[in-house]
Amino acid sequence: MHRRITWLALAAATATAAATLTGCSAGGATELDPEADVTITWWTGQADEAESILEGLADEFEELHPNVTVDISSGASSTEELLQKLSAGFASDTYPNISYSFGSWASELESSGRTLDLRDQVEDPSFAWDEFSEAARATVQPTGEKIIGFPALVDNLSLIYNKTVFDAAGVEYPTEEWSWDDFRDAAKKLTDPATETYGYAYSVSGSEETTWQFWPHLWQNGGEILNDDGTAAFASDAGVDALEFLRQMAVDDKSIYLDQTDTKFAQLFAADRIGMMTSGPWQLYDLNTAGTQYGVTVLPGTDGDHQTVSGPDIWALFDTQDVNENYWSVELLKWLTAPEQDVRWNVEFGNLPLRASEIDSPEFQAQVVALPGIDIMAANNENAVKSRPTVAGYVGLSEAIGSAISKVLQGQGDPKEALEDAAKKADEALADN
Amino acid sequence: MATITETREAPRADAGGSPRGSAPDTRAGARKRRGLADFTGWAFVAPAMVIILGLSIFPAVWAFVLSLQKWNGFAPPKWVGGNNYGKLLSDEEFWAAVSHTGLFVLLFVPASVLLGLFLAVALNRDIPLIGLYRTAIFVPFVASAAATGILSTYLFSPQFGLANNVLRSLGLPAQGWLEDPNQAMIVIAIMSLWGQAAFTTVIYLAALQDVPGDLLEAARIDGANRWQTFWRIVWPQLSPVTVFVTIWQVIGALQLFDLVYTTTRGGPLDSTKTIVYYLWEKAFKALDFGGGSAAAYVLFFVTLLITIGMVLYARSRKLEAF
Repeated sequence: MHRRITWLALAAATATAAATLTGCSAGGATELDPEADVTITWWTGQADEAESILEGLADEFEELHPNVTVDISSGASSTEELLQKLSAGFASDTYPNISYSFGSWASELESSGRTLDLRDQVEDPSFAWDEFSEAARATVQPTGEKIIGFPALVDNLSLIYNKTVFDAAGVEYPTEEWSWDDFRDAAKKLTDPATETYGYAYSVSGSEETTWQFWPHLWQNGGEILNDDGTAAFASDAGVDALEFLRQMAVDDKSIYLDQTDTKFAQLFAADRIGMMTSGPWQLYDLNTAGTQYGVTVLPGTDGDHQTVSGPDIWALFDTQDVNENYWSVELLKWLTAPEQDVRWNVEFGNLPLRASEIDSPEFQAQVVALPGIDIMAANNENAVKSRPTVAGYVGLSEAIGSAISKVLQGQGDPKEALEDAAKKADEALADN
Repeated sequence: MATITETREAPRADAGGSPRGSAPDTRAGARKRRGLADFTGWAFVAPAMVIILGLSIFPAVWAFVLSLQKWNGFAPPKWVGGNNYGKLLSDEEFWAAVSHTGLFVLLFVPASVLLGLFLAVALNRDIPLIGLYRTAIFVPFVASAAATGILSTYLFSPQFGLANNVLRSLGLPAQGWLEDPNQAMIVIAIMSLWGQAAFTTVIYLAALQDVPGDLLEAARIDGANRWQTFWRIVWPQLSPVTVFVTIWQVIGALQLFDLVYTTTRGGPLDSTKTIVYYLWEKAFKALDFGGGSAAAYVLFFVTLLITIGMVLYARSRKLEAF
């Protein structure tokens, strides 16, 4: 008797739980009415100062358009966690209109089938779409099909050098003319085992940090990440040469500090233990706070080619089945990414401007005083000629080559074999999607 | 549930008083009473049951369904059957993770049981400030694993850490610690031990205080010295607790994640990539939730087998641990 009751109760409780877990989506407006009252949910993925800047801009937008309420929040405790929040939100049909998103998530977000598509709208001159950099536009159009949002942030890798370490070793500062051989010689001279000082730092965690640092080397050697048929192309001679170069620095010269966790090398650089690092604008604030004497220049080049890699992030737009919400979400981002607002958001916070036209603005010039070198990084965007692939499966490719690089730099395995092995794994990941 | 209330009520009815309750003592009345008692019981249990069902049973079932699907968290899931399990079992990285986890279990479990026993015996005496010592042992257990991890990265930093400074001052060669693939797991085991020894200590302390005093007296009168008393009387008395803490620590060790996450992120050269770290990476880094869930279920079954094995062993040896 009670055996049966137990199962009945279990079934009932499970049904209740299931009912509460499946949210219900409200049907939205289907006729566009720009005057109607509307509430937009916006997850910024930002914290502290960045979040308060955006909240101020959201208030301003509400004043300009009294019928619009912007429900703005950071959305998650860290930007990484937005991905899980979005995934859970899609499962329960409660997701925001706008969310910050790393560029590497773009194709996954598109595959959800819940993003908007701006392809028809961006042809309108009011968007000034072609003022965004090539890499940024490619990232919001991950599969070449839908345009799923707006560029939110652009950055690139530049060479940051520590003047204190250079002066102590009596080495000339890097110039825009440097080749990788000049770079290697300098790194060797800066390295001093007695004081635990290294010429250069490279992350061997096997994460995307490991991977994307490698792409400029590959591209400058004439290599590609993907073939036209969508398979991995990095195990070419160009790739092997690039990895062999780094291997010689790490294993033979011992001039590279190999960071196991992505987190230490910047601190060591700030503490004058590392001579050079290839990094981006996000480092400058901390370096200035620490009072580090640093300089910035473009990456060393191969035969005069100094190209770098860019990792744009995006504001993803989601279709909430309400035309008014969709309309105002696009309007809000159009307003936010316009130069007048962008200088008060990205530039104000110390990111690079979204558009090259903002470089002459007084706001940006003020930042150049506060964060020396940020102007060189902004100009370096022009050297980001190729963009990282945004295909689904890039995550798997990144993991495969990342662990190959970190093994080789730690003296395990031969560059050619390691890259060929990684290409096999990457092909599996690419074919899987 | 109902049987308990019945057996409780039965003797009362025999006590010769007037029959309780207004319901005539018919079968229908009894059934009604029992139904009411059942309902009352379920009403008490319901809130907790909903929480357990919602927060553990439902996710567990869903994870099992996920492990049979291919899902990146966004696109509609595709049904792939046992494909994820097949891939997992042919994945070298997974087997490497299994062996790293196995190594950690071997390093950590015996050490934590023995250290716990040693500390418990040391703390099981009447000396001044004993409360202070017991507290001192227990504090690391309360500290979060994240804090422990961050602390160990500072302690064992190869260039600037305290551990190497001590070695240098003793004239010994500095070690790579967490940045040396051969040492990283040992360092993590040491730090886990530091955090977890308090747990086994407390359990053993309680068990030591349960050892019957007359047994110890009898042993003393029979002329056993302290060493003999401990190994012949106390240790056998503690065996159920030993079985329990061993199982408990094995389960905990198989699920090592937080310390790895805060110290090495699975490095150097993947030497500290444990099963749980592997599945977390699969699910949340590579967005392969099916593969991650499959790994979670493999871990669950392995844990279950080990536990059943231990319980059967304990029963066969007549240790009353369960």
